Amino acid sequence: MRPEQKKPDQGKKAARRRLSAKHREWLSGYLFVLPDAIGLLIFLGLPMVLSLVLAVFEVNGFGGYRYVGMANFVRMAKDPLFWSAVRVTAVYAVLLVPLLYVCGLGLALLVQKTNRFNAIMRAMFFAPHMVSLVVVAVVWQFMVVDKIGVINKLTPLLGIAGISFLGDPQFALVTVVFVSLWFLMGFYMLIFLGGLQDIPKEYYEAATIDGAGPFHCFWHVTLPLLKPTSFFVLMVSMVAAVAGAQAFDIIYVMTKGGPANSTSVLIVYIYQQAFSFGAFGYAAAMSSVLVIVLMLVTAIFFAMTKGGRFTYD
Amino acid sequence: MTDIKTPGNGISRRQLIRKGALFTGAGLAAGLTGFPYINRMAVRAQDAPLKFWQFYAPGGQVASQVDWFTQMISAWNDSHKQKVQLEYVPNAEYINGPKLATSFASNEGPDIFLISPGDFLRYYNGGVLQDLTAHIDAATKADFPETVIANRMVDGKIYGIPMEVEPMAMYYSVKAFEEAGLNENDVPKTWDELLEVAKKLTTPNRYGVLFETTPGYYQNFTWYPFLWQGGGEFQSNDGKSAFDSPATVQALKFWQDAVKSGAAPRQVLGNGANDTIANLAAGYCAIQNVGIWGISQLAGNAKDFKYGVFRLPTPANGKYMTVGGGWAFVANAKGKSPDAAAEFCAWALASMDKGSVQRVADWCTKAKSDMPPRNSALKAGGAAFTQGNIGTFARDIYPGTRAEPRVPPEVYKIISDAIQQTQLGGADPRHTATAASRQLDAFLASYSGAPIL
Repeated sequence: MRPEQKKPDQGKKAARRRLSAKHREWLSGYLFVLPDAIGLLIFLGLPMVLSLVLAVFEVNGFGGYRYVGMANFVRMAKDPLFWSAVRVTAVYAVLLVPLLYVCGLGLALLVQKTNRFNAIMRAMFFAPHMVSLVVVAVVWQFMVVDKIGVINKLTPLLGIAGISFLGDPQFALVTVVFVSLWFLMGFYMLIFLGGLQDIPKEYYEAATIDGAGPFHCFWHVTLPLLKPTSFFVLMVSMVAAVAGAQAFDIIYVMTKGGPANSTSVLIVYIYQQAFSFGAFGYAAAMSSVLVIVLMLVTAIFFAMTKGGRFTYD
Repeated sequence: MTDIKTPGNGISRRQLIRKGALFTGAGLAAGLTGFPYINRMAVRAQDAPLKFWQFYAPGGQVASQVDWFTQMISAWNDSHKQKVQLEYVPNAEYINGPKLATSFASNEGPDIFLISPGDFLRYYNGGVLQDLTAHIDAATKADFPETVIANRMVDGKIYGIPMEVEPMAMYYSVKAFEEAGLNENDVPKTWDELLEVAKKLTTPNRYGVLFETTPGYYQNFTWYPFLWQGGGEFQSNDGKSAFDSPATVQALKFWQDAVKSGAAPRQVLGNGANDTIANLAAGYCAIQNVGIWGISQLAGNAKDFKYGVFRLPTPANGKYMTVGGGWAFVANAKGKSPDAAAEFCAWALASMDKGSVQRVADWCTKAKSDMPPRNSALKAGGAAFTQGNIGTFARDIYPGTRAEPRVPPEVYKIISDAIQQTQLGGADPRHTATAASRQLDAFLASYSGAPIL
């Protein structure tokens, strides 16, 4: 700020001008995020706290509250369906997250060069993400329906026939993982594309001059420099797999948690307990545990990877 | 430092931030304190119409059903000071969905709404069902057959007024029968015969017979008659579980065998096994286990489809029985005006007034295809209940009807899991019945709500 512009007799304005550029930037930044922060606090933070409070009550959904202490948590520990839901959620996440990472990165590498063909391919891969989850679930449900679904018409060509993709507990979870992957991989492709474009071309040129082939370039340049993006993708996809919209919407529409609870992930079971059975307190207890476990896993992952930051050896 | 002006509008960035913050703050303050309260006050104003939530959509699948609702509301509003307003809630959000549950949790539940027997105990035990008895005279009460009204009553008081009785039966495609060289004389009478016929009707593109496969209240509802036909129950007279019985095992095994044989699908189409258009009329199956409402579905949406109906086959040495579901009008005891809501329910469906009787008859003959829950409405319907497939229901199928049981959600889930594990999970029916029975006993020992029927 130029000294000749100062007007020290102008009260408040003068006080504000005493702020350093760094502080002004700091203040502006926080002011800009303030509306979102308030929204998050009210619509996410507050419900999370209230959910924790609700977890120690028996709530019937009609205004009846009864303090039960840790009873909901004890019930959870003894509930075989809760543990079944935990197991199904874990399998869903363990299958989906690595597949999302590999497919998202693979697609990004495939279409990273800027040309018209790749622009069309990017749009095509991202297109599923533009469709409503419910529509995705309904369309796929029809495509894999027993006997007459288009997929079931094609499988005999591969030497397999008579598979009930959503009606057989052996295949139902794998099918919803596949549909979730189809829906999400275009989104992660875009994130990886952003990460790939941030890598300076000079690194590849230097590596190529040193005799590195495409594989070495990928292994020694691309992957290490994609660490922050990889960290983000793994974290977000893990949270999405455990508690995300697609984990609920696709499964609820396609299978309602069936057959025989084989796709009943925790988020579906929580919904069922709350809205079908009216056990709001028990559902809140399970939600609280889910949030705490997610936060713990995130913190451990964050600590282990240093938030995906580069390490300078 | 000079303020950086935004080109064109003359507002500085600092002013923009200040005004934005003021606007956000004012909005939040109003939102947190004033506006919702004011809105609620407006909604709860004494002269505001009573809210009636139902799931028959404007322009929905069967127009006559929507018309019936709108005509009923018009008739009431024309003759009463306290108005009633229809509010449509999509089916997916209504049945097993969050809409009703969250509305009551936030004390904003509808004044009048529809519930099935499967939901009765949840709402009754929650204390939100208004006692309607005072608004129903003795003659009208006697007009409801005991078997129809019993599962809406607690301690002799009426908490819901049924609008229909919906017995389950089997529908078959005449074309599919003809293609398989079968005719109406081949209609199966026993479970074994049904499986045999279903195998003959099964082709690479079609299943022989279809039962519900999606877990939910509806699947349990459709399975109950197969349990009862062998003499099975899920609760004995002493209040303990009766689920661990040969009748349970054979009913679970029957559905399992149908799937194992390849004659019945593991998935159903459309809105589920209650949807005759997506399954039977579309050719996905040749025989479908569905209720009396299938007649109006097919009449409204597949006029040229030729079909027949027959009553549920029985096991060897079993007794014919079917289940009759149906929705009921109920009033919210915690609503704006529970008495007015109760008066409306009684006026609509439970009065000896000619209009009330005709309304029930019209619902069951013109709007939907159902059996009426009142003797007077059966008479008023006249010839409609003697002709065609409704006549078949009235003569052959309805006489063996037992009302859909009302069970708490915990009991529903135990039974649902047993059906799913055996039908689709391949579990041993005997072990499943025993395990489910233990779970039932554990729950029943601590249950303290209204009687399970």
